[in-house]
Amino acid sequence: MNRESLLTQTGWLILALLLALALTVIVALPTGAPPFETIYVLFQGSLSSWSKVGRVLAGWVPLTLCSAGLLIPFTARLWNIGVEGQVIMGAIFCTAALRPFDDGGSAGVIALALAASAAGGAFWALLAGLLRVFGRVHEIFSGLGLNFVALGVTLWLIFGPWKRPGVASMSGTEPLDISLWLPRLANMSVSWVGLALAVAALALVYILLHRTKWGLKLRAVGENPKAATLFSLGPRRRLLQAFMFCGGLAGLAGAVQVLGVYHRLLPNISSGYGYTALLVSMMASFRLSLVPFICLFFAILNVGSIQLPLQLGLDSSLSGVIQGIMVLSLFIVQGLRLWLKQRKEAD
Amino acid sequence: MDTFALTIAAILMAGAPLVLATLGETLTEKAGIVNLSLDGSILLAAMAAFACSAIFDSPWLGMLAGAAVGAAIAGVLGVIGIYLGQSQLAVGFILTLLSRDLAYFLGHNFSRQPGPDLGLWTIPGMGDVPFVGLIFGARSPVVYMSLMAIVFCWWWMFRTEGGMRLRAVGESPRAAFGRGIRVRLVRLYYCLAGGALVGLAGGAYSLAVKPGWGRPQGCEGAGWIALAIVIFGGWHPVRTALGAFFFAALQVSGIHLQEIFPSIPAPVFQVAPFPMMILTLLAVNMGRMGWIQDIIRRHPFLKSLSKGWSIEAPAALGQDFNPKKGL
Amino acid sequence: MIVLNDIHKHYGRVRANDGISLTLEPGRIYALVGENGAGKSTLMRILAGHTRPTSGQLTLNGETLSHLTPALAREKGVGMLYQDPLDFPAMPVWENFQLGAPKRSKREVVDIIGELSYRLDACFLPDEPVSSLTVGERQLLELLRLLDLGATTLILDEPTTGITPEQKQDLFDLLMKLAREEGHTIVLVTHKLSEAFEMADSIFIMRQGALVGTLTPPYDEKELVSLMFGEAADGEVEPLPELPADAGKPRLAMHDVLFAGPKYSMGGLNFTARPGECIGLAGLDGSGQELFLRGLCGLDRMPGGSFDLDGVNHASNNFAGLRKAGVQFVPADRLALALFPGLNLMEHITLAFPDRHGDLTEFYHSQCVDKFNLQAHPDTHAVELSGGNQQRLLLSLIPDETKLLLMEHPTRGLDAGSARQVWNHLKRRCAEGATLIFFSPDLEEVLEHSHRVIVFYDRAMAAVVEGEDISMEVVGALMAGKRYDELKEAEA
Repeated sequence: MNRESLLTQTGWLILALLLALALTVIVALPTGAPPFETIYVLFQGSLSSWSKVGRVLAGWVPLTLCSAGLLIPFTARLWNIGVEGQVIMGAIFCTAALRPFDDGGSAGVIALALAASAAGGAFWALLAGLLRVFGRVHEIFSGLGLNFVALGVTLWLIFGPWKRPGVASMSGTEPLDISLWLPRLANMSVSWVGLALAVAALALVYILLHRTKWGLKLRAVGENPKAATLFSLGPRRRLLQAFMFCGGLAGLAGAVQVLGVYHRLLPNISSGYGYTALLVSMMASFRLSLVPFICLFFAILNVGSIQLPLQLGLDSSLSGVIQGIMVLSLFIVQGLRLWLKQRKEAD
Repeated sequence: MDTFALTIAAILMAGAPLVLATLGETLTEKAGIVNLSLDGSILLAAMAAFACSAIFDSPWLGMLAGAAVGAAIAGVLGVIGIYLGQSQLAVGFILTLLSRDLAYFLGHNFSRQPGPDLGLWTIPGMGDVPFVGLIFGARSPVVYMSLMAIVFCWWWMFRTEGGMRLRAVGESPRAAFGRGIRVRLVRLYYCLAGGALVGLAGGAYSLAVKPGWGRPQGCEGAGWIALAIVIFGGWHPVRTALGAFFFAALQVSGIHLQEIFPSIPAPVFQVAPFPMMILTLLAVNMGRMGWIQDIIRRHPFLKSLSKGWSIEAPAALGQDFNPKKGL
Repeated sequence: MIVLNDIHKHYGRVRANDGISLTLEPGRIYALVGENGAGKSTLMRILAGHTRPTSGQLTLNGETLSHLTPALAREKGVGMLYQDPLDFPAMPVWENFQLGAPKRSKREVVDIIGELSYRLDACFLPDEPVSSLTVGERQLLELLRLLDLGATTLILDEPTTGITPEQKQDLFDLLMKLAREEGHTIVLVTHKLSEAFEMADSIFIMRQGALVGTLTPPYDEKELVSLMFGEAADGEVEPLPELPADAGKPRLAMHDVLFAGPKYSMGGLNFTARPGECIGLAGLDGSGQELFLRGLCGLDRMPGGSFDLDGVNHASNNFAGLRKAGVQFVPADRLALALFPGLNLMEHITLAFPDRHGDLTEFYHSQCVDKFNLQAHPDTHAVELSGGNQQRLLLSLIPDETKLLLMEHPTRGLDAGSARQVWNHLKRRCAEGATLIFFSPDLEEVLEHSHRVIVFYDRAMAAVVEGEDISMEVVGALMAGKRYDELKEAEA
């Protein structure tokens, strides 16, 4: 956790960015990808029209929900790797809540679905939390295992009980009635409900962590769980609360995907947002104020990379490559600073 | 009897890459480093092995490429984690995502392409021997590689001076430093060695067990299972290898069970290894739970059982050590 | 001969060693004394090659160097034995012995261990893990290892903490032999004056990073004390509070209690304590005293028996419940177990007193600054505090109404002045009615501050001694396994 000034941190971030740019160019060389054209396509593919900007914002929403939520378990020094599965579970619970409403419903039904999705994500996170707190299974393994299980459940539902009448296919379940689609912002493909949820999540996380005693106690638990026991802070209970809160926000992200983007349950409903959110949090060094901006940048990369196979014959995973290199570069730069500081001290 | 022999053969084959990856990570963790990049490493190494094999028409060159890629990724983790003092878990996790995306990106042109694989080794005369002949008559070289790796790792760890230093560094880096051992260098060395074995596992997938490259390749998730098996096997080469074969057996039996019970949906079998992974980790920690200890205390004969059950991690696993700071 | 010339070791602004020069001659035993934090261990670690000096030179066997490494030090024949031996607990004895030595086969190593053990009347099983040995045995193994590597200069850092008086005598006899008969140089780093008097041909005194004096026999205790502590030498330790004649209601009554910890369990515990009593626990590491304290506060489980706290029966030792009932536990390892390194003092106060709301600045002042003399800004993070201030912070976080105070090693790592303050505070609490049960690996501390002493041996309560029996001879013997009734018979 960084205690430096925001300005210094942003400065180092930019340095890491430049390093990342250089590394990306090097890495992309074997594919024969022309570096400048690739960058151009990436940004053009995401910013060249309002509808594209809309898609960027639509990608920003679930990413921000997950990244903001992740700050809570990270405060308690927990690695909620299971966030991907929690997004999926949220999507599943959301779809389940809407199954009885084939002919559509009111805003109240949407609210019900949102609540169900938060509950689903929180429940899935609670499982990982229980395994960690009572079974001493490291949350990396329980989170990952549950991610794959959630994926399996999705596949089973799509090809089994929830399959489309007649044909079971990878394109998912029966699409939702249009009344259950989240209302759009202007004629862009992003929903203002989603945007509102993301902004609210950022505010909520800020208040919880920095303005409440709950946040202080959670920080204490993260600093030293043994001492937290001595202070009667109930560390186990708080760890579970941290998991559940993050899971709830992740579940909402899943609901936004179902209600606002795809309007049905797909095998790839989470689109890797959970894992990407982990990268965002690490890159922001767990500083809330940087999260929305990094999410925006990552969303731009994600949407832009869709154009790569069509225009340049490149795989769209390039966005993931760039994101990974960026975070890695940040760690390298941080490490070099530490190394330099130690050398100075030793002399 | 024949089906039994064939099943064993299938387990040996399915388990070979898992054994290699697990042994590699055992070495790395025994020295005190956690390499979370396993899953991505295996994928990138698999892609590199297949690509190299296809370009140069030599599967063995491909295996070498795979090992090199595995070692390189582990090397990046090693340098940033050991020398630059950053969190091993964080960097390892970033590397696993990055390597996976790199594998898909760079392997785009090799997707679903044909390419040479390692083929089979036949032992002359073995084919006629009953039972054993069915298992070892004609097997992929990766099977022999994995078996040799088990023996070699065990011998190295427990019967050589180098292995003693490996264990010392993972137990107490401060004491090792006091004995004149170059702790950080030893850790980096085993990071690279372990990474090379992991890379071989990747090559084993794309050049033998599931030949070819694609998106998905089919070995996704194997790295995470390997990480869990290292814990399950108590950081001991033979026990972890047995754990790997255990999981391979589950996989093989899963295919059979799927044929017998077609009504159970396919996804159940696909994801089955992961709940198993969680269950094995739970089982490993059970010995430490209070109510279990109470039962053991009331029935002393269970004590010897629990002794063999409990496992101890290398004491300094995941901890940083900087000799510049002195003792 | 070894010469240290103008050795400096600075950690930022802290001068752990401030221009130290001294000479060590072969065949002599030196004592390096000073209180906690004086810089003795740092200086010796520089000599052993485990740390590099900021400036200065070392001359060994005629060669002058700016610093040593562990390998170099070994070449020069310097070996250091730490208070907590730097070994590998999970690995077997023979591997611990062999690591760092030139290549030898297992058989050769086993033979060498056997021969050395025979000469020194010890017994080591080569394949047993070192974790199964006692601290004294681990020390001896380390010593043997250093001798095998050809160490002619041996540095022992606080070697007598955590061993029985008997083991200590054996160790000192061995050190004498090594110095007188084999011509080795021995440096004994200690904060216990009695040991320095007993053993040393010459005493170096350090205070606050500097060498303030070198004494030769005959030793004048007063001079030594004033050099060691400076003006802080004069400070009164309050005497133990008197216990009222009428016992009244017992504070603590244990009935056949069984405690179960992660490594072992301990049963059949029966004990009663009165309000205002100071009870010391004595015993070797792992003999049961840690489990006793942790069980009483609820950190370790109590699968059997029950105990009464002020008359209220507790059949299960629930930590939160006991804390509410007035039981407080203070661990020895402050930063690792009892404080939050990254949180500041204000935040600690907020967490420790959840019933107080609003602005706590005034409360902080009255509680920490006035009562405990904790001179630090409320924004200071716990990790930035000195050891003494950390202990002051911890004590200030204990509510006044605490009935049963359980402390692991109250003065660990503290300088004499702070240690005195801590004990005066604790005795005042007892005088006001609290019961204190504490443990310290420093036997003298236990003997000095207890109304009664519980001696633990082999995971059981060996005896409860009081009055005249609270002495080094009796308690030391009980700690080593002698039976109390046999002792009493021998006396009679």
